[in-house]
This record gives sequence, structure tokens and C-alpha cells, in this order.
Amino acid sequence: MDPNAPPPPGSSTPRKLIDFSLIVVASLALAAGIGVAYQSGLGRVWEIFLDETLLTAELLPKIVAGVLAASALPMLIAPERIKSWIGPDSGLRGLTIATIAGMLVPGGPGVTFPLTMGLLAAGADMGAGVALVSGWMLLGLNRTLIWELTFLPADFVALRFVLSLPAPIVLGWVVRHTLRRREARQ
Amino acid sequence: MNILIGTIFLWALALFALRLLRKSRPEAVPAVIARARTTTIYLVPRVFAGLLGAGFMAELLPVDKIEQYFGEGSGLIGVGLASVLGVVTPGGPFVAFAVGASALKAGAGWAPLVAYVTAFSVININRSLVYEIPLMGRQFTLIRMLVSVPLSLVLGGIALLF
Repeated sequence: MDPNAPPPPGSSTPRKLIDFSLIVVASLALAAGIGVAYQSGLGRVWEIFLDETLLTAELLPKIVAGVLAASALPMLIAPERIKSWIGPDSGLRGLTIATIAGMLVPGGPGVTFPLTMGLLAAGADMGAGVALVSGWMLLGLNRTLIWELTFLPADFVALRFVLSLPAPIVLGWVVRHTLRRREARQ
Repeated sequence: MNILIGTIFLWALALFALRLLRKSRPEAVPAVIARARTTTIYLVPRVFAGLLGAGFMAELLPVDKIEQYFGEGSGLIGVGLASVLGVVTPGGPFVAFAVGASALKAGAGWAPLVAYVTAFSVININRSLVYEIPLMGRQFTLIRMLVSVPLSLVLGGIALLF
């Protein structure tokens, strides 16, 4: 396989370290921090600041591993295969494969988004990308089994999960067909 | 504990993938590592700012008005309000599920909770700003969020029937 053939996964990662999204998130944090200072005093602000700093430090090794895995995995599959599995002509079967892949992604947004970006660059279409991301968001086993079941009653989780089952495929289908119609018009 | 298990698992996966890659396409390994480094450097300040905002905002959430707005009788209005809260709830899933659990205890119905978890899952602003827009670009994020807007109302609406 030509090493230059597939566009590098995650290649669209912006290079600018400080951009609009960081400014918004930082401003929100600052505003909420001022709110807490006003409501409960500076001592509480400091406590939360330390807690979250510690949590970031705990998450750091996980983020590094997730980003590494997400960057490497799409390079292991031949682009032709990605295209036939979850490309624009993969039909409902492709959307189902993408949804199941999303359910199985073993990690947070730092894994899922770079992985999806890599698959899009290697030939997946946007419909499959949306199905994968939605499958991870709504049905991700990691999130459902570890987080949701820890906090919420099992019968509630089962109801929510079953109601959400068709959603990633439907959303992916809507995106795929809307884009296709738009392309046909142009 | 959950973080530790996840970390070990992801490292195992990453090392396994890198090993496979070194065998099948050794020339691609430096590029993968360089890209992972850029992405990590890019992500960390965002994650930190996002977690900080989440911690502060969780402190400010009004938990005493739950039954009034999200009780069993709150109907579609409760579903709609819960969806809006899901959009703006900051932080990772465990913040949202913790909020959901305390809401249930305080008298919230299942349908608004379905809407809340669904909206938090698919159209949460915080996650999109911290991760999705930087990593996936504005176009993907916008299209995906637009088609996902009705979902929490639909699923919450169906849950009202149970």
C-alpha cells in the first residue's frame, strides 16, 4: 500500500492552540467561578479548582493513550475496506456497522472524535460519521455500563437504551440523504 | 477507580495498535506519534477549562425546584425544559448522571430524565466546544447537531407513554 495514499487521520486538527472554542470554554469557567465565589465564597472556588486540577492530572494518561490509539487504529485498516464498510454507498448495513463501532469505542471524546476523523479521511461518509458519533453518545457501552448504571436505576437505563437504539442509524441516514440531495442539486 | 481501569485498557489498546502498525506500516509510526502529540497538547487546556467550568456550574445548579418542573405531571413542558438543561449541563457523563440521580430522588419523572440524558448525550454545548468543533470541524458539528435537535423531544415524548 502506498504510504502516502490515505490522508492522515486527524489531519484537520487545527494548529492554533488558543482559538474561539477555548476562549468560550475558559470564559464560561471564569463566569461560573465568579458565580460560585459570589454564592459560597472564595474558599469553595479554591476547593473546586484543586479538585478539577487533580482530575485533569488523573485524566492526562488516559487522554494520551486514547489519542494514540485513535490515531493508530484507522491506519491499520486499508482505506478501500473502510470505504466499502462505511463509505457513501454502504447503505443501511454501513450505518449499522458505524453505530456498532460507536457503541464499542472504549473511551471518551478524545478517542471517538479523532477516530471518526481518521475514518472520514480514509473514506467513510458523513452519514456513517454521524452514526458512529451518535452510537457512541447514545449507546456507548463504556458510558452506559460504567457511568449510567452506577448512578441510575437499571430499568430506567434499559428503557432509555431501547428507545435510543434506532436513533444513530436514523440520524446517519438523514445526514447521508440530505447531503446526497444537496450534491445532486449542485 | 473507573478512570484507572479505563486508562489501563486504553494503554493496552494503544500499545497493541502501535505494535501492529510497526509490523504492517513502520513508516507510518512517527507520523502517528507526532499527530497524537499535537492533538494531546491541543486537548489538555480545553479539557482543563471544561472540567473547571463543569465543577463551578454543578455547584450553581438549582436542585430544589426539580419536582415542580420535572415531576410526573410535567408532560411535554418538562421534557422540553429537561432537554434545554441537557444542552447546557457542563462536564462529563458522570456530572450529568449524578444530576439525573439527584433529580430522580427529588421527584423527577422518567420522561424528562430520558429527555435530559438524550439531550446531554447528543447536543451538549460544552462537549461540542471542548472537543467536537476543534477535532471534527464546524461543518460536521453543525450538521450533526442540527439533525439531532428533535431527538430528545421525540424520545422523551415516547417515554411519556410509559
